[in-house]
Amino acid sequence: MKTLLDIENGKKIKILKISGGKGIRHHLQCLGIHIGDIAVLKKSSFLGGPVLLDVNGYDLALGKGVASKIEVEEIE
Amino acid sequence: MKIAFIGQPNAGKSTIFNGLAGYKTVTANFPGQTVNYTVSTVKLGDEVFEIVDLPGIYSLTAIDMAELESRKYILSGQADVVINVIDASTLSRSLELTLQLAELQVPMVICLNMMDEARRKGIEINKEKLSQIFGVPVIETVANKGIGLDKIFSSAKEAYYKKLIPKIQLFHKDIEEKIEEIEKMMPTELVKNIPGRYISLKLLEGDQEIFKEIRNYPEFFNKIKQIREEIKKTHGRHTDSVISSERHALTMNIFEEVAKVGEPSKSLREKVDDILTNKYFGYPLLLIIVFGIFFIVFEIGRIVEDPLVGIFDSMIEKLPGFLENDSLIFFIFKGLLEGFSGGLGVAIPYLIPFFIGLTILEDIGYLPRMAFLMDTIMHRIGLHGKSILPFVISYGCNVPGVMGTRILESPRDRFITAALSVFIPCAARSTIIFGLVGAYIGGLAAAGLYIFNICIVMILGGILTKFIPEITPGLIMEIPPLRIPTLKNIFLKTWLRLKDFMLVAWPLLVISSIILSLLEYFKMDTILNKIVSPIVSWMLGLPEETGITLVFGILRKELSMIMLFQAMHTTQLNTVMTNVQLIVFTIFTLFYIPCVGTMGVLLRELGARKMILITVLTITVALILSVLSRIILSLII
Repeated sequence: MKTLLDIENGKKIKILKISGGKGIRHHLQCLGIHIGDIAVLKKSSFLGGPVLLDVNGYDLALGKGVASKIEVEEIE
Repeated sequence: MKIAFIGQPNAGKSTIFNGLAGYKTVTANFPGQTVNYTVSTVKLGDEVFEIVDLPGIYSLTAIDMAELESRKYILSGQADVVINVIDASTLSRSLELTLQLAELQVPMVICLNMMDEARRKGIEINKEKLSQIFGVPVIETVANKGIGLDKIFSSAKEAYYKKLIPKIQLFHKDIEEKIEEIEKMMPTELVKNIPGRYISLKLLEGDQEIFKEIRNYPEFFNKIKQIREEIKKTHGRHTDSVISSERHALTMNIFEEVAKVGEPSKSLREKVDDILTNKYFGYPLLLIIVFGIFFIVFEIGRIVEDPLVGIFDSMIEKLPGFLENDSLIFFIFKGLLEGFSGGLGVAIPYLIPFFIGLTILEDIGYLPRMAFLMDTIMHRIGLHGKSILPFVISYGCNVPGVMGTRILESPRDRFITAALSVFIPCAARSTIIFGLVGAYIGGLAAAGLYIFNICIVMILGGILTKFIPEITPGLIMEIPPLRIPTLKNIFLKTWLRLKDFMLVAWPLLVISSIILSLLEYFKMDTILNKIVSPIVSWMLGLPEETGITLVFGILRKELSMIMLFQAMHTTQLNTVMTNVQLIVFTIFTLFYIPCVGTMGVLLRELGARKMILITVLTITVALILSVLSRIILSLII
């Protein structure tokens, strides 16, 4: 299963699963991120850094830890 | 009439508030700038409006302290009208909050702000349709340019007098049935003035605050648990996810009904943004930007400082001609002039360019990008990128820096970030770095002190993390688009920050200078100096006269330097102190005890125990570093 960390720059993805605890799930839901959402990975992780996601019309930075808990699939 | 501005972070609530109330609260282009609420009254004709600017809130399920503050206020039922400020360029997401606000059943106005940005993104919004769906007035604004703000009060009045309460948007039938079921069983004491539907939904979402309250009703509590299990079984995922998806589906429907998305105009901003956070260019640019600002502040400050201080110096030299030397009145006048010159001549030349620089960085939206770039490095000290925001603000003043820790999610992160923030040299301490080390030894040495400070903060962070291990998942943060700051905002914000210095700090500088003069007159300064001399002279190797300045520095850090000129009876400190002494003095003031204001805010944010802990930590660190630097520098120089 691929996570956000395995995706290259500029690829379109679909969020399949958010693992990890209730905390992360709640937090992402509050920001309007849901399972099934389509997003574009604007910047992939570099040197263990965060990823930048364009989702629902705005940019969201996700640290490595969070990104590794979001399972996605590439779509086109 | 009480009007509350509620909206998601960085939607422009404070900008609207400032536009209506005059510049009262600091705005910036990053999510979570406002961490506490500001109230102001505006008189319009014979009607008085009380307007409240609340911290941004993504959803009524609060995730950090600032959001909790907003939620408490909204639920307290104090607001007569709620103005839901929406960043029109992120309409679909913003509507999720609107749906939740509708559940509170308070008269509401929807304010579509940043319409210019929405158009740039190619989003066209049919506001009549939106107004129809929710049954409340919808207005369009571009707050930073002042467009549309005149409609706010009239529409708020309309909503209030016509009781325009937002229509509730219904979920799928099976969920609605569950909500109804919960509402029917709900103990009446629980409801008070909050709509039962809202509480039911929060219970389904597993909201911790409300769950705590229903623990006293075991039967109800168990029933809720049972319903949540049922939903989880039929939908195949957690109930909170189900509700969130339902809400998302509703907003998408509304969004599609009211908005048309065309081609966004590819702008220069996107390209600039791409470079700013580029993995190769991002870090060199970060260094250039940060050092550029310090270099400019230093150069401008020095150009202005010399002639200004010169004027006051010549005045003080002429004093004996007017007043009898060594009389009481002479000492009072001398203290007055020295305090005055300290504020105007030494602090302000550095403060103004620094505040302008900080404001530009904030308003452009560079800080969230810094958080993005620094995330990896911050993890080394057990924090994540978001902590960089309180740190950067602390360079201006530690007080808002410590308050800024409210944007962090966990108490542990808040404590560590606050503890480290007070080690960051605020503008006051920067004037000392510039005014002593910069002026007498050189710009390079001053820059070196900043780097030294950052290294120490990182080491301390590493040590603190050893004691309190990291548990947080990491960075989750919205990166707002880059914006071009308006000149008016830069001017007003710099003025707001400067006003604080002039009204609070400057008088204190003048008064303290006079007190020092009086102490000198009564020969009491030597007694105070003797008391602290074991630390000052013996440990730090500083002239005994500096003792009193370090004591006063606890009030305001600038005082240490300004009184130093006075205590040493010269504005040419290099004639009475060695370079090593100047550096040791600066390092000590840099690290020891946060000023009284910062201690106050630490007390409020973290409690007495942690405040004392942090204060003791600062003194210990300051002593260790000063003694070490004294020994090492004496060997080198």
